[in-house]
Amino acid sequence: MLKFTNTFRDGIGFDTVLVVMALGYLVVFSAYPLAYNLLMSFQSVDLFTLTSFDRPFVGLDNYREVLSRPETAMIFWNTVKFVGLSVLAQLCVGFALALFFQLDFPAATWLRGLFLAGWIMPALVVGAVWSWVLAGDFGVLNHMLRQIGVIRENIFWLSDPDVALYSVIIANIWLGVPFNMILLSVGLAGIPKDVYEAASMDGAGRVQQFFTITLPMMRAQLGAVISLGVIFTLQQFDLFAALTQGGPSNASNVFQYWSWQLAFQNYEIGLGSVVSVLMIGFVIAVAFIYVRSTRYEQES
Amino acid sequence: MTCQISLDRINKYYGAYHALRDVSLQIDQGQFVALVGPSGCGKSTLLRTIAGLEGITDGTITIAGEDVTHLAPRARDLAMVFQSYALYPHMTVRRNLTYSMRLKRRTRAEIDHAVTEITRITGLEGLLERYPRELSGGQRQRVAMGRAIIRDPKAFLFDEPLSNLDAALRVHMRAEIRKLHNRLGATSVYVTHDQIEAMTMADHVVVLRAGRVEQQGAPLDLYDRPVNRFVAGFIGSPAMNFIPATVTPDGGHVSLELPGQPVLRFGGRRPAGEAVMVGLRPEHLQTGPSPDAANRLTLPVAMIERTGAQSYVVCDTVPEVMVSAPVRVEDTDEIVLGIDPAQLHLFAPDEAGLRLDI
Ligand SMILES: Nc1ncnc2c1ncn2[C@@H]1O[C@H](COP(=O)(O)OP(=O)(O)OP(=O)(O)O)[C@@H](O)[C@H]1O
Ligand SMILES: [Mg+2]
Repeated sequence: MLKFTNTFRDGIGFDTVLVVMALGYLVVFSAYPLAYNLLMSFQSVDLFTLTSFDRPFVGLDNYREVLSRPETAMIFWNTVKFVGLSVLAQLCVGFALALFFQLDFPAATWLRGLFLAGWIMPALVVGAVWSWVLAGDFGVLNHMLRQIGVIRENIFWLSDPDVALYSVIIANIWLGVPFNMILLSVGLAGIPKDVYEAASMDGAGRVQQFFTITLPMMRAQLGAVISLGVIFTLQQFDLFAALTQGGPSNASNVFQYWSWQLAFQNYEIGLGSVVSVLMIGFVIAVAFIYVRSTRYEQES
Repeated sequence: MTCQISLDRINKYYGAYHALRDVSLQIDQGQFVALVGPSGCGKSTLLRTIAGLEGITDGTITIAGEDVTHLAPRARDLAMVFQSYALYPHMTVRRNLTYSMRLKRRTRAEIDHAVTEITRITGLEGLLERYPRELSGGQRQRVAMGRAIIRDPKAFLFDEPLSNLDAALRVHMRAEIRKLHNRLGATSVYVTHDQIEAMTMADHVVVLRAGRVEQQGAPLDLYDRPVNRFVAGFIGSPAMNFIPATVTPDGGHVSLELPGQPVLRFGGRRPAGEAVMVGLRPEHLQTGPSPDAANRLTLPVAMIERTGAQSYVVCDTVPEVMVSAPVRVEDTDEIVLGIDPAQLHLFAPDEAGLRLDI
């Protein structure tokens, strides 16, 4: 018995079990759903055939259908705007805050802790809070803007088609800033102080130090933060569910929410799969860039 | 000689901790000054206040006649070589060297010319396109030096630049830095905790303890006439032996508190019966064939260490007496030591341990 345990632990047995467990997990919870999703995007699926593989193949019909829908272009551009603006603003605000907290001032640690609030709250709760803030008639934001005299009439942040998307973007920026700040803070802390001192002896002012030392030395972190930011933003679902449900009339709809609507509200499951397949392709491309940027980091 | 760097009663506090106390220092144009002292005495702090990397609480710093006390580092025109080298990790050697020139927007031709010159001086040929992580410790050290030299600054500041190198390379670089100094004729301030480095490289040595200047002067003056027991013990290797003693009634001899109460002449006069601390350098205890017959010590031997050129004899006494002899000492139970009265130092036995005139 003891001999068996030993061979099991020291020999190849234990390793095999570990590998099989990890692989099994990946196959069951990642690979299978992905493959299943890909399969469904080429089939005609309805609620009754959802659980069987035996469904009529329709080739690229689902893809043609999705691309020819009148709302597709709008939702595509909404997604681009949502991801682009969110990531850009999260990065700028997060970087600015990270630089700010680099300065040694009293209560810096405390304040930084406060900024994590957004990170530890479930996105659905954040959505609920923001829906109060942004509410048209009783919202905090409208109240404040009226008080300081910026606006006279209430703005209907969540139901005005011109601003609904931007409202979600603002909430999403708030949600993503802490993550950016923490990751960039770690990067900033990794730059040795004496390198800055050497630069200041060499004649570089603060601004020159930022552009010649800080930015180039943060390349890997910036790459990681941007790619992860794009991936997280493409996953952002809860805020849409809590704030606008993609409305009014798709004015604030994006692919990830639309895919869910198609599949689980309209039961056009094949079409929903198509949208998610397209998104998977895009995320894989971004993930590739991310892996490349972290590989650069390991080399240096 | 014009005074290049002048410090006038510098005081520096880190919170409540008094890191520099009334430090005053005059450094002449072209001088090589070493700051030495035990760990934590404030050497780096002093150097960094000169550089402007640390503010000071009180006092004035003047560089080339200009009051720079409140100027930023980049306005002082000094170059610093850091202990860690602090090379820019994301820049090649060439870009590290030319960083300051590029900030000043110097022309391509000027930069290329300077790089050629500096690579020749520092021997960095063929390494220009490497990154710092691809260099050995000694090569990084050279890049750090080159980055300072290319600036042609008012003065060079070095903070223990050799402490990360192995012993052989350290001796080599020591000579090289000194040669470079002679050639450039620039003013240099050099921090080290290694008194040998200070003695061999500097024209002027400043000994610091707990933020205070204990003594400054030419290296051999510090060796010959240390002002107190601390400097006496710090300068010289192995360290000076200190033996408690009492001045004899005739006022010209001391009776050592060693077995047998040996009496030594010190070639001067002190009040009879005064308690003193006798300082004897290990290398001044002569083991040769005919030591001075009048001034002799016979001590039991605990151990003999031979390095080839030198023999170190540790005597079995309290306090322990160390002898450094330039000959091979045979195994023996007792050693006879001759002492030149001119090489015998007397210090007060109290905490301050000031030198007593003889
Ligand atoms: N930023 C700081 N805050 C508080 N105390 C400091 C700070 N920097 C240095 N000190 C203290 O000031 C004293 C002098 O430090 P310094 O670095 O100048 O020593 P040093 O002589 O260079 O020692 P070493 O040979 O170990 O480098 C030390 O006691 C140190 O603890
Ligand atoms: Mg130091």
